[in-house]
Amino acid sequence: MENVSKSFGGVCAVDNMSLGFEEGKVFCLVGPNGAGKTTLFNLITGFLHPDRGHIYYHDRNITALAPWRAARLGVGRLFQDIRVFKRLTALDNVLTAFKNQPGENALISLINPWRVAREERRMVERARDLLSLVGLEGNEESLAEDLSYGQQKLLSIARLLAADADVLLLDEPTAGVTPVRIKAVLDLIRKLADAGKTVAVIEHNMSVVYEIADWVYFIDGGQVTSFGIPNDVLGDPNIRATYMGL
Amino acid sequence: MLIAQFLVNGFITGLAYALIALGFGLVYNTTRIFNFAHGAVYTLSAYVFYTFYVVMGWHILLAAIVALGVSALTGVLIDEFVFRPLIKRGGSLLIALLSSLGLYIVMVNVIAVAFGNENKTLSIGVQPTYMLGAVIVTRIQLIIVAVFALIFSSFLVALRKTNIGKVLRAMRDDPDLLASMGVNQWSVRRLVFALGSTLSSVAAILLALDVGIDPNVGMTAMLNGAVAVIIGGIGIFEGAAIGAVTLGLLQSLVIWQTSARWADAIIFLTLIFFLLFRPQGIIGQRRRIEEVGL
Amino acid sequence: MSYFLHILIVIGIYLILTQSLNLLVGYTGLLSLCHGAFYGIGAYASTLLMMKAGLGFLPSLLLAMLATALLSLTISIPSLRLRGDYFVLASLGFQTITFAILYNWIGLTEGPYGISNIPRPTVFGIQVNTLVSFTVLSSIAACGCSLLLHTISASPFGRVLKAIREDELATMSLGKNVIRFKVTAFAISAAFTAVAGSLFAGYMRFVDPTSFMLSESVFILSIIIIGGAGNFPGPLLGTLLMIILPEALRFLAIPDSVAANIRQIIYGALIVLIMRYRPSGLFGEYRFK
Repeated sequence: MENVSKSFGGVCAVDNMSLGFEEGKVFCLVGPNGAGKTTLFNLITGFLHPDRGHIYYHDRNITALAPWRAARLGVGRLFQDIRVFKRLTALDNVLTAFKNQPGENALISLINPWRVAREERRMVERARDLLSLVGLEGNEESLAEDLSYGQQKLLSIARLLAADADVLLLDEPTAGVTPVRIKAVLDLIRKLADAGKTVAVIEHNMSVVYEIADWVYFIDGGQVTSFGIPNDVLGDPNIRATYMGL
Repeated sequence: MLIAQFLVNGFITGLAYALIALGFGLVYNTTRIFNFAHGAVYTLSAYVFYTFYVVMGWHILLAAIVALGVSALTGVLIDEFVFRPLIKRGGSLLIALLSSLGLYIVMVNVIAVAFGNENKTLSIGVQPTYMLGAVIVTRIQLIIVAVFALIFSSFLVALRKTNIGKVLRAMRDDPDLLASMGVNQWSVRRLVFALGSTLSSVAAILLALDVGIDPNVGMTAMLNGAVAVIIGGIGIFEGAAIGAVTLGLLQSLVIWQTSARWADAIIFLTLIFFLLFRPQGIIGQRRRIEEVGL
Repeated sequence: MSYFLHILIVIGIYLILTQSLNLLVGYTGLLSLCHGAFYGIGAYASTLLMMKAGLGFLPSLLLAMLATALLSLTISIPSLRLRGDYFVLASLGFQTITFAILYNWIGLTEGPYGISNIPRPTVFGIQVNTLVSFTVLSSIAACGCSLLLHTISASPFGRVLKAIREDELATMSLGKNVIRFKVTAFAISAAFTAVAGSLFAGYMRFVDPTSFMLSESVFILSIIIIGGAGNFPGPLLGTLLMIILPEALRFLAIPDSVAANIRQIIYGALIVLIMRYRPSGLFGEYRFK
């Protein structure tokens, strides 16, 4: 399995950027607001298409893929504005994420409801496990919109886990989460990386970056201005000046 | 009849549609509200004009002014009392659309109860006609051309050169800009609704004189306007006029080849065609649905 | 008594119509204004198949379902790739074009004269030609369709539809082909409408284009808006309310010429009020936000 490497051009939010992520490691993207980090995630997941340049996933050119196809290949995304399914229960939120559900074919659900029911039972068990993993056991039947901001964030993490993605693009996973839970989230991230996933995290919280990042990209004005281990990048006085000077 | 006759008829009808489209598009491009009630205001202004001109025998221009005033006022009131309360409560565009549909139903049926469901004509006797080469045009058609030319040119000038134009374009592209421009968003909305309603009611009055009125004219007019806006290109104010003229011409050509029965259908077939092959419209630019959603 | 049975039949037919629209509007969040057109296509298709091709009631009904589902693709595929407003407009377009075809293609549909003497349905050898037997038929059909639609809505397929309604982009990010789901939901919704159309044709024994105009589409939509969408009780109770209410109005002495208009004024006003004060409808789950 290989590096995922990307190079884009053009879109003024992302200016001729080239970077790559590696499996089993946690990459943090830091930089001022509006520097292009979220746009980067949009480009990778196919919600935006670059004006120039290409995006590769395991040697495969995924530049022009529709978002759902990229997701099926294994690219997962946590949104900065959460985007849980508000009027669905927490359980349903997670259940939606599982791939290859036979019941998602309307015909099968009519002709072979027994098979669908069997799969449902299996998935419900896994979903419950995921929910308790993120600390939401007991909230399974609550509507997502009735949960607190932090809980919704955890729910979106559980949902992403259910999607079983290989590449995890997390946009500010700890924002709004209580300090107690943050530790749990960070442990989770570490475990995911150790399990071989590729993890890229956009973060503004420096202590989080120091804690989990193997590598840091500093992104400013649509370009990568620095790359290295956390100490080097964040310790660089120029970087500090740019970042703190907000 | 000569194809030229049909082309001229189609073109002039297209100009009338263009006024409606400009009005509908003004509201849609700036507020993103797909306003069914626009059709109701159209119908209302036609009937108000009918009341003052035919029933009460007022001078035609006076009746027109009253009708225009009523429609501008109604447009503003609808926004004030139906749309804004919804938006202030965080309502989406879908909810505004549905409310406007309900409003359309109420208004049009009230008019029907008051005036009857049947078609009424406004002009008595035959229209004076003129010959342009081998083509016959009625006086009303010439008035439509003149009125359109006047309005459209003022519209273009206002859009490009004046402050109002800048404000409208800002509102279309990024409403948050308005605050930083020192402009009150709500006042601009009032202007937009007033202006949008007035533009369409000009067409309502002209077409009323041309072909008469019935309670359903508004829906057809509004739909033609909406399709014209999409065909012309969403987000481009002038595009609506181009779309409308295209529709008028196409409609006329179809009538020439087949019959008037298919007039309505062709409007929507054109829409489907554009949705399939050129969703950005004649002069629009391609944007992916996902981009729009972000 | 026969009045009561008549009402039951009408309720049965409208239950099918509203529940199929509910799949689209309430579960998937897609606003469609062409349900009347599919209703009409179902009615005419099954009628023509029975009278001109000599097919039985059930085969005609099934083929009509197939026809409406296929025809639904003509608008869903072009417009669902684009923004929501396009779909509404496209559905309006479909409604208009369908009416034009039904009204003008006299060779096929007899146009404004309509088709009369439609034969009563014969189901499994039993001729359904009494009011009582037809009530039984329509009730069975309504229950059957409700059951099927409910199974679909409660399945993982229905769950994805709800997710699409809540947040289309997030649903895409989970690997679901949103467009395929929407197109499928629309086709299913259209197919069930054809069942209602076949029943209508067999009951009234006469079809003409004016039963399937935009006002009909709006009426069906009104039931969903007023009664509520996105769940099972909403359309059910909404249908009961909206069918029984006008019958109650009959007992007020409203002149015939304006009766239809007055009814529409009430529906329109209800829609505006519901949107303003109770967007989830009277009994619904999905709140139009």
